[in-house]
Amino acid sequence: MEKTARTPGRQEMAGKSLLGVLASWPFLCLCVPLAGCATVAPQQRAILADPTMQFDAEGKHEAPLRHAIDNREGSMGGTGVSGGGCGCN
Amino acid sequence: MQLAVFVFAQVVVLVWSCLASAQVAEVDTTHSVFYEAPTRTHMFVYSPSADVQASPWSWLDVRGGWDADVVSGASVATKAGATYQATHPAADVITTASVHDLRNLARGEVAMKGETTSLTGGYAYSTEHDYRSNSMHVNARSDVLQHNTQFDLAYARNFDSVCDRVQSSADTSPTRWVALEDSVGCFTSAPTRTTRPIGIDTYEASWAQSWTPVLETQLTYTAQLVDGFQSNPYRSVVLGEGLKAQENVPSERAREAVTARVAWYLRSIKGALRLSLRGYYDTWAVESGTAEGEFEKWLGESVRVLVRGRFYKQTGAVFWSDDYTGGLSPLGPRGRYWTGDRELSPFWSWLGGARIVWTITPARGRILGILESFKLVGSGSVTGFTYDQFTLGGVPISNARSFVGTLSATAAF
Repeated sequence: MEKTARTPGRQEMAGKSLLGVLASWPFLCLCVPLAGCATVAPQQRAILADPTMQFDAEGKHEAPLRHAIDNREGSMGGTGVSGGGCGCN
Repeated sequence: MQLAVFVFAQVVVLVWSCLASAQVAEVDTTHSVFYEAPTRTHMFVYSPSADVQASPWSWLDVRGGWDADVVSGASVATKAGATYQATHPAADVITTASVHDLRNLARGEVAMKGETTSLTGGYAYSTEHDYRSNSMHVNARSDVLQHNTQFDLAYARNFDSVCDRVQSSADTSPTRWVALEDSVGCFTSAPTRTTRPIGIDTYEASWAQSWTPVLETQLTYTAQLVDGFQSNPYRSVVLGEGLKAQENVPSERAREAVTARVAWYLRSIKGALRLSLRGYYDTWAVESGTAEGEFEKWLGESVRVLVRGRFYKQTGAVFWSDDYTGGLSPLGPRGRYWTGDRELSPFWSWLGGARIVWTITPARGRILGILESFKLVGSGSVTGFTYDQFTLGGVPISNARSFVGTLSATAAF
């Protein structure tokens, strides 16, 4: 028996998934205050500033690979918002 | 195309005028090739790009760039399921060398930077034979708690349009719609062509945190609302005996993802380990999980090497089926919508790759008397796809591979 058809809508955006819960304000309110406990002094930041510790140190170089991955998967997210065009053959 | 050239020319003029008085200027170019086999499409894409960045004042960055995709290969023009294929051996039609497209994208971006904050705004325009895109984005960043905590908020809006075939006024049911034959006449006043709008809103919020001198994390939430024509206009799907129709998917799609990343420097082996987990969900009921790991290490003072691995798994869209000929209820998701898109089918994939970065930054003076630094980056990756249900010519696709190779150079003046 097929499920009844639905046209997914914007109002369905949040609240139905685990992701919605994780991204909700209570979760952030619990986590963000922990940031105040972190005390890395400026003189201790040498390693953190190293390119090997950057999440997107070679962002432009990696863009074609991300573009190819995005166009072969049904998912998105986590790599920034800018972009344009389809290029989705 | 003309508008893309115009936008790019304006960006070049703006950036060039900034270069004249710039404290720092950077030029880079990237060249990438993508090849996919053996999905019978043999898709090949060459993607060149060039970017210029100037910082006329310490509080201002101006960036301009262009990139392109030169695409050739074949595409699945008509998709049928394995059952139908068994009795109709030539039902799946792969149009040989049917895809020859050129995407041109011009972009410009301005970033204003303060001591602990920055505000960035940008615009991009891209054109293809059958697709046009206007994209605007803004990004705000703030560093707090002695730069140990960083918040990012970003928003992008796309005003896109895709070319489609004008359907006969008598064909009110999507089951009778005919797929677009080719891109000839697109974005002209040709009576057989029309354009369909697509609006895309993307929101992203990110929190990065330094916990210790060797440990950093990042949590990112991304949401996207897509509203408009999202089918492949060229693709038909076999719906029944002797009946095929243009692909038909819902016009609205709400997507969201949460990504957690950690970077940990391992003093014992003098290298950084980066791990990433992403969960994704959308209103088409596609759910996915991604796990990614990278290890990067300096070899000497100027060379960095990276190895990476990635695993990805997704469920199919609620209306996905490899075979729509089973007499499905027109009120059910598989009776109301149909697609031959393998990206909407359940599958898993793995990726392995490596990258090498060579940086030259002289302690004194400049390279060749003009360059402050020079960087060369090369990388390669291979991805394997295993489709749980998707078939081509009645045969499951379990050994698809794609290869991406990228080379880029950056010079700072």
